[in-house]
Amino acid sequence: MQIDREQAGSDVVLKVSGRLDTPNAKPFEASLMEAISSTDGGITVDLAGVDYVSSSGLRALLVAGKAMRTAKRDLALRSLQPQIREVFDISGFSTLFEIK
Amino acid sequence: MLAIAELLAGLGLLFIGLKLLSGHLQQAMGRRVRAILKAATRSRLIGLACGTLAGAIVQSSNAVTLIAGNLVRGGILTTRDAIPVVAGANIGTSALVFIASVDLKVAVLYLVAMVGIAYQFRLDRTAERREWIGVLLGLALLFLGLSFIKLAPQDVPRETMAALLNGVTPLVGILIGFAAATLTQSASTATILCVAAIGTGAIDLSDAFFIVLGANFGSGIATLISAGNLQGTGKQLCFAHIFVKLVGCLVVYLAWLGADLAGYEPAARIVALGQNGPSFVISVVFLLLQVTGAAATTLFCGTTEALARRFSPPSQEDNVSKPHFIDDQAMVDPPSALELAASETDRLIGNLPELLPDLDQRAADNAAHRALHWRGAHAVGEATGHFLVELIDRHLSREDLDLALLLQDRQRLLLSLQDTLKEFADVTDGYEAPPPLLFNLAEALRTLVLELAEARNGPQSEIELLLELTTDRSTVLDRIRRTLASGAIGTGEDARKLLVAVSLFERAVWLLHRLAGTLRDTANAANRT
Repeated sequence: MQIDREQAGSDVVLKVSGRLDTPNAKPFEASLMEAISSTDGGITVDLAGVDYVSSSGLRALLVAGKAMRTAKRDLALRSLQPQIREVFDISGFSTLFEIK
Repeated sequence: MLAIAELLAGLGLLFIGLKLLSGHLQQAMGRRVRAILKAATRSRLIGLACGTLAGAIVQSSNAVTLIAGNLVRGGILTTRDAIPVVAGANIGTSALVFIASVDLKVAVLYLVAMVGIAYQFRLDRTAERREWIGVLLGLALLFLGLSFIKLAPQDVPRETMAALLNGVTPLVGILIGFAAATLTQSASTATILCVAAIGTGAIDLSDAFFIVLGANFGSGIATLISAGNLQGTGKQLCFAHIFVKLVGCLVVYLAWLGADLAGYEPAARIVALGQNGPSFVISVVFLLLQVTGAAATTLFCGTTEALARRFSPPSQEDNVSKPHFIDDQAMVDPPSALELAASETDRLIGNLPELLPDLDQRAADNAAHRALHWRGAHAVGEATGHFLVELIDRHLSREDLDLALLLQDRQRLLLSLQDTLKEFADVTDGYEAPPPLLFNLAEALRTLVLELAEARNGPQSEIELLLELTTDRSTVLDRIRRTLASGAIGTGEDARKLLVAVSLFERAVWLLHRLAGTLRDTANAANRT
């Protein structure tokens, strides 16, 4: 898994590629939390390069989503592959995150 | 030919009657039987008496053994407490044998009339009345079946009957009884058949003695066969059941043998004894077998327990089936008892993720381990349900009653969710490599279940988030169903399995939403106080 960070003003874009599985979930969560604490703006996670999301990956996003919700900030997801979009729709995450 | 038809019809009616009788009695009296059995902790004698009463009420020592096994798993009884109960249940089942030994032709007519009137005038509208009407119908069919069996030999030529009579040696009698009890899984059924056969003159009392002896031992073996894959405590009680039967047979047979050796001619004496009422005498023999077996097993309860443990050591399932919090002693203080029930339910919610496969870590996943956890969690869930029902039956304060009803609702939802997760896991276990849709459903469900486990102890915002995540999914899931119906994802058996998985997922999400709702209600109630 690879995570590239882009700063756009106060907003951060995290470009993720690879598998969001159990071994990668913790580093992914750590990157998200680091991004949340290092900026005051919104965060967008670009999942164009992600072709696999397990429950561990979903939970990492959920943890970040909760933190952003508490801080009253926006966490958005973008460029989801159809298969990945399906798991977000099924799990109800589409109601929690803005999906671009 | 008519005799065979009458015999078969009689047997059919007898079996239907027994099934109806036992099934409806268990439904009508199940809770009361549980309450009776709980008193068994006081002493062995009380345990024996409780078991006798329970056996007489439900007319199935197997059913009492099963209930006692559940109470042991639930930590309410110890195996040692349960042994006299199982022993007593065998004595209790003698009641039906005695009833069957009486000529109840007129009773059948009245019973049928009562059942018919009850149905015609819709007296079966409440669940309890329905069960009792079922009991009456069961009794009527049982007695009717017995009358048919008694009638059958009248159409058999005398010479054929004589040939049959001559063929019953003690060993053949024992084998016939053994086979009949193993097939019917009941010594009392085989003995009732024997009672009917005596009534027709097809066999005499000394033949019947050996048939009943074989039937008694056969029903013990039948219990072991029907125990199937049961392990640990459940099977220990099956062995206790067998010991009751075996010891009863040995004691009574040795007494017969002793009498024979001493020149008392037991065969002739028992025939003479039964000249006026042979059916009653065979009922007494049946009772004697149960009483001697039960008395010896109860008296040597420790030895019985040690032997049963040796044959069936405690299993892992016994450990996971034991409640961690609920305890009947706590019922004297309802607020504490409610706290314990809440903690137990809370623990079960925390363990829900163990019921689902982790498809991302398939190598570490163990279906047998998950099934074991499901059985354990289900047993504790049911024990918590019984605990709450009994608590609600006590005079609770308004506040305690509200909480008890809320916990009961949560416990019922939890049991349904456990079952749904198990069914979902069964679908995924059917695949070496689950298709992408099933993978997504499984991982989404796992995420939501993990969230519930976390939310139960978290701040209220966690519960609110879970409620949001588990809102109605029908739009998304209907779209998936349409795609499946079009054959775009899979065809035939695969599509059917996926449709089942989608429905189970939808049910699980709905149950998760309802469970989260009960957690919010508890949090709101706590905030108010």
